[in-house]
Amino acid sequence: MSGYLKTHWRHGIFLLLGAIFVYAGSVKVENPQAMADSIAAFGILPVILINPIALGLPVFEITAGVLLIVGWWRRVAALAILLAVAAYTVAIGSALARGITVDCGCFGFGPPTRARMWIDFGRDLIFLGAAAFSYFTLARQIRAQRRS
Amino acid sequence: MFVRDLGGVAAIFAISMLASAALNRVSGRPMALIYQSPEQRLSAELSRLVDTPPIYPSEVPTIELAEFRKQVENASALILDARSASFYEQAHVPGALNLARDEFAHDYQALKDRLDTFRDKPIVVYCTGGSCRDSRLVAAALISLGFSDVKVFAGGWDEWTQAGLPTETAKK
Repeated sequence: MSGYLKTHWRHGIFLLLGAIFVYAGSVKVENPQAMADSIAAFGILPVILINPIALGLPVFEITAGVLLIVGWWRRVAALAILLAVAAYTVAIGSALARGITVDCGCFGFGPPTRARMWIDFGRDLIFLGAAAFSYFTLARQIRAQRRS
Repeated sequence: MFVRDLGGVAAIFAISMLASAALNRVSGRPMALIYQSPEQRLSAELSRLVDTPPIYPSEVPTIELAEFRKQVENASALILDARSASFYEQAHVPGALNLARDEFAHDYQALKDRLDTFRDKPIVVYCTGGSCRDSRLVAAALISLGFSDVKVFAGGWDEWTQAGLPTETAKK
């Protein structure tokens, strides 16, 4: 693949991942109570953290998504998304392993099903790959620039 | 570099938490700092109407689609939609009224005249379907308030629409 195409391909992934996070955050920011119910259903976080996280996480997703799109603090934004998706993947994976059926609340809210949870888990693995690619590509770029 | 990036992530997280806390404070309906389950929130709503009555969600009888459909078509029961207003306004079972679980006290007051005529008559509550609990909670709350013939259509909105049955769109 030529350098030109490689660069555009990379930018495409940054923009797509950023846009997905802005969308996911904006869907949740309107309904913090449903978000809190979703978080509570996982049974992972202590009660005292549920509402602050339900309020803060969508804003965090929007901020990281916007930064990844506009390119300001892009590497940090990619790491933020990588860590967030890793946390979501672990949360859904643990719920699947524990046999509990929960609504991940990732892109809105609805009745949970096991099938939907497996789809969410698979989708998170793809996002995890895209976020890891974004962060490590940007980190490698910086290291290469410093060496030259 | 990784540690510095982690510091950046922590900064974004901290700013997001502070910004969201500030937004929550100025919003029309700020969320409490400590999480309350749907049951606790409904109890709080109920306590605005009467002295904190007990709720026994597991005791609410349920009906199947065939019986629910008959009641809707014959208008032989008061049908209540326990989902939030935004879902109700998108579409609902024909003739259903919206008694949302999270707006229980407000909706109950708004529907009080109509509800009072059904104190001893059949009432059926539904929510999304699947494992949604709102219909059971609202039905239990109505039983707590003295309504004697309250049932839940457990299949809910999902089963109704999957069966291709008619729907209605209307504002609350």
